[in-house]
Amino acid sequence: MDNFKIVLFLCNWSPHAAFQKLQDLSFDIPAEINMIRIPCTGRISKALLFKAFEMGADGVALAGCSPGTCRYGSGTENAIKNTQDTRDILDIMGLGSERMRLETFLPDETDKMYQFLSTFTSDLKTMGKTPIKGFRSDEIPEDPKQSITKIIAEYDAYACLDCGKCTSSCPLALSGKDFSPRALVTSLIEGDITSETIKENIWSCLTCGVCYNRCPSEVNFPELIQKVRAHTTKDITGQNRLTHGGFFQSLMRSMTHSDIQQKRWQTLPKDIKTDPDSKILFHGGCAPYFDIFFRNHHKVENSDILENALKLLNFFDVTPAVLENERCCGHDLLWSGDRNNFLKLAKLNQKILNDSGIDEIITACPECYRTFAHDYPANGIDLNFKVTHLYEFLENEIDKSAVTFDGPEGRFTFQDSCRLNGLDEIKDLPRKLINRFASGNFQEMQDSKDGALCCGNSAWTGCDAYSKALQVKRIHQAKKTKSDFMITACPKCRIHLGCAMEDPFEGGKLKMELTDLTNIIAEHICWE
Amino acid sequence: MVKQPTQSKQEIIITGFGGQGIVLAGRILGMAAALKDDKESTLVQSYGPESRGGACCAQVVISDDAIQYPYITTPDVLVCMSQAAYLKYYKSVTPEGFLLTDKDLVKPVSDRDCFSIPSTRMAEELGRKMMANIIMIGFTTAITQLVSKKAAEYAVTSSVPKGTEEMNTKAFNKGYDYGKSLLKGRAQKASGKKRANA
Repeated sequence: MDNFKIVLFLCNWSPHAAFQKLQDLSFDIPAEINMIRIPCTGRISKALLFKAFEMGADGVALAGCSPGTCRYGSGTENAIKNTQDTRDILDIMGLGSERMRLETFLPDETDKMYQFLSTFTSDLKTMGKTPIKGFRSDEIPEDPKQSITKIIAEYDAYACLDCGKCTSSCPLALSGKDFSPRALVTSLIEGDITSETIKENIWSCLTCGVCYNRCPSEVNFPELIQKVRAHTTKDITGQNRLTHGGFFQSLMRSMTHSDIQQKRWQTLPKDIKTDPDSKILFHGGCAPYFDIFFRNHHKVENSDILENALKLLNFFDVTPAVLENERCCGHDLLWSGDRNNFLKLAKLNQKILNDSGIDEIITACPECYRTFAHDYPANGIDLNFKVTHLYEFLENEIDKSAVTFDGPEGRFTFQDSCRLNGLDEIKDLPRKLINRFASGNFQEMQDSKDGALCCGNSAWTGCDAYSKALQVKRIHQAKKTKSDFMITACPKCRIHLGCAMEDPFEGGKLKMELTDLTNIIAEHICWE
Repeated sequence: MVKQPTQSKQEIIITGFGGQGIVLAGRILGMAAALKDDKESTLVQSYGPESRGGACCAQVVISDDAIQYPYITTPDVLVCMSQAAYLKYYKSVTPEGFLLTDKDLVKPVSDRDCFSIPSTRMAEELGRKMMANIIMIGFTTAITQLVSKKAAEYAVTSSVPKGTEEMNTKAFNKGYDYGKSLLKGRAQKASGKKRANA
């Protein structure tokens, strides 16, 4: 018999009373149900709900108090929102929203509780087992000290002159955080991987790369950090530094399971043409997941970038394929230290994409681009097709086409994407494209290009008061340019800076139009 | 509007400032037709003070049969690379003919449909302003199909100074691609698809 696993998060109050009565009366509670008693359903975040699925649960039930009877006021309300978001994400994941249910109870609703539990169990049995089989934890290397020594040698961190240019240019250090790339390199060379400096600081770095640009010895600090994070031991793990409860890392790890059948492109507008036999594949990235996850936080909409990118491809007579079961590139796993699962995901992608017979993959996401074009080969994952960023495609097409822009009116400034800035072949393209429609109304922020300020977070790690200070500083810089639009090139910059604009202490002072370059181009490009 | 050249004889006037390579452009078009497309062609060039900076003009006739008379009064194709030249000639083009202009140098004064390309700006971006004429040849080839692309490319490479063939081929293709794209854009517009985001 299949061993079904159902997690029941049971609120300590009304539902627990009902559940206890079930036990008192010796009801036949399905054996598959593992009950976890919790103080309030409102505190079971999306990350916790999804974690259960990541660990192989076939279903998750949340039993809360009836609306209006929550002891803490807003618990049930939060649970309803969290449940809806998680259910929608499960739908895109292809697991099915029905695997996650919320029901609310009064203390004496014993029969309702019994009904709920038995119906849920039998429904799940009809749906079958989850395609996520077993939990994929981080693998820990056997001799961390040896690995660290190798990493230091690989990136030639021994060449550090101790000049301090890195720290004096680090956006995080400048925002007041007690963080120093130089001190971190020194500690790493000293070799005590468990020292407080290392424990604290390897997870603080934003990996934006300003220090690398400044370093006279050309120590690639961001990649050094990436490697060190992947070789840390359990006691200095970054798990507690992951933002949003590690939800996104859970999501990505879940995609390492080969049986997952996602439904990524269900909401694609009908006027966008795609062709499953095309030799060009458009890779969207994880924006649809972000949009659902953040929809109650502030209005995050990044799926529009994917739609607009497809419209632009169509506009230039390219009818690309899209993969319904498109998987994450693994960027955030790689940069948050889970190299083991990154490689699993990368190898799965390699197999699927290499076997699909495409010639070219086009993506509008800087992280996907960098990961496919740079980090896959660097980790021995070779792809048999060309990786193109949408900006390369657009610059090439616009350059030889009789097209023009009918707007927008206004002034523009640009938030650099750290992942594009790290790649010479592509770093100048966003500005080239902006200048095609800005007609002289483009104004750089005080820190730009190689010295640009980061959006404050990377790979869903380390969000704190200093990130916020950094973001606020960045938005003030943008405001100073008197621009109407702050253009971003990365969905995450848009999410993080958008979040900072909501700052309650600054009122509306930080508000400005924040839009993606792809969107502006798609909305205003037209034939001569 | 866009028609294939069906007549057996096509009359072309290329005009602009002296020094823009107007005469060379005419010569290349004629050469392409005569050497590779198996046709007859003639060239009448204005020769004199124009070549030091005034209005300049090249008259090209391309025909399937022997050409009896090389002078042109009502061109089928008019290529204008200066405002003065445009004002002087634009009324003379046949109703079904093609009017081609440099977008930045010619500001149209009539409603007559014209095909324009920022050839001088493109040439500057490619690094040599003097290649504007070659870009214009590419553009003319794409729009009017007076000569085949292959013939025009051959005529370009065999007419430009040694060592600059590659650069000029690039310029030619730039104009050609732009012309093709302009035609495609017009077709898209006609079918109601003017924008990426309808």
